[in-house]
Amino acid sequence: MNEYLGILIFFVIALGVGFVFTVANSILGPRTKEKMEDYPYECGVPLYDPEARGTFKQGYYLLGLLLILFDIEVAFLFPWAVVFKDIGIYGLIEAVLFIAILFLGFVYAWKKGALKWQI
Amino acid sequence: MTEFWVSLLVTVIKVLVVLGVFLGVGAYLTWFERKLAGHIQARLGPKLVGPFGLLQPLADGLKLLTKESIVPAGADRVVYYLAVILALVPALMLFAVIPFGPSFKLFGVEVKPIVADVNIAVLLVFAFGSLLVYGTIFSGWASNSKYAFIGSLRKAAVIIGYEVVLGFSVLGVILLAGTMSTTGIVQAQIERGVWFIVYQPVAFVLYLFCMLAESGRVPFDIQEAEAELVTGYNVEYGGMRFGVFPLAEWYLNVMALSAIAVVLFLGGWSGPRIFGPLSPYLWFLIKMFGLVFFVLWLHWTLPRFQAKDITEIGWKVMLPLAVLNVVITAFVYYFV
Repeated sequence: MNEYLGILIFFVIALGVGFVFTVANSILGPRTKEKMEDYPYECGVPLYDPEARGTFKQGYYLLGLLLILFDIEVAFLFPWAVVFKDIGIYGLIEAVLFIAILFLGFVYAWKKGALKWQI
Repeated sequence: MTEFWVSLLVTVIKVLVVLGVFLGVGAYLTWFERKLAGHIQARLGPKLVGPFGLLQPLADGLKLLTKESIVPAGADRVVYYLAVILALVPALMLFAVIPFGPSFKLFGVEVKPIVADVNIAVLLVFAFGSLLVYGTIFSGWASNSKYAFIGSLRKAAVIIGYEVVLGFSVLGVILLAGTMSTTGIVQAQIERGVWFIVYQPVAFVLYLFCMLAESGRVPFDIQEAEAELVTGYNVEYGGMRFGVFPLAEWYLNVMALSAIAVVLFLGGWSGPRIFGPLSPYLWFLIKMFGLVFFVLWLHWTLPRFQAKDITEIGWKVMLPLAVLNVVITAFVYYFV
């Protein structure tokens, strides 16, 4: 349990450092408010579109979906790798089947064109 | 009960030492990188502040700390501040599971030079690596600027693509070591007398690529792309809040991932005892900073990939290679 306490202490202190870096400028910096200083940056011209969070390329969305597929599969495979020597041939075949099914999904995504960046 | 307090004290001291040393080294890596870049491009680099420009990081830090705090109009203030913390904390937390050497005795107390010697250390590395995405996404979303928004999306696409490859490339090492604890992996290499890079050369190369991608270094720095995005997701930040992003991403992250590469592939602290009693620690630092130097060297030598190339290479070449590597490693390890 002591070892996890180390992570907790580290987390609290790191959070403190992050907090200090976040507020440092509000305390140490000058406070001379000017009219246009908080105007969003766009090469010095008036904003074409004041709301920046608009549409974006849907390829990012597809990659996000694929990440969910693969990252969770990797998380499943970590415990298998640790006990690999103890579970014998049964574990090996099961894991290879698991990876094969996973790879089938990958091939499907590839054939559907989800990995193609420029359509 | 006193045992508990002693271990608590030792842990706090270890945390403070690790934080102090690596924040300081991270700050000084900026000087080193600028000097290196200067000499690679046949210029001198920083030389005016102090001898050889050695006080440059302090001057930069003071300047960043005394800038006015500006939050852009239309920004989501809570998320805007949260992004700074979410960029820095996971990058620092990676250092919690790095073993810098074998345990030693100090005043009768056994001290392990690792903050938390947990048996899921590699999993923790992935957890914190994944959390780094949120710092980027939040900063891009909260800034209300097109440059920041596009930069953060690009960076997120790169990180999530290469994280999967990273996971699969490390699986081979965990298979061989039979443990996820970082000290355990180093012990496994010392017991066999072989570094895992010999058994897993493909995984090592894949890991290096992923390291560059996760830390946004050239040739994977499309999210910075000075020429088109003017440094991307952190463009609307100022002062120390701006300073945190390169510090966390370019320096802390590179150092932490290099250290983990040393643990996984390069035998950790093992090496001939030519520096006397300090040699394990020195070997670890030599290997780690050798990798950091390699990354900086690449940064000032190579051009940048296109976004299309990065995602397509990551998913179509590296992921199948990494999966194949795991399957072959499992079969060879079982039958040989």
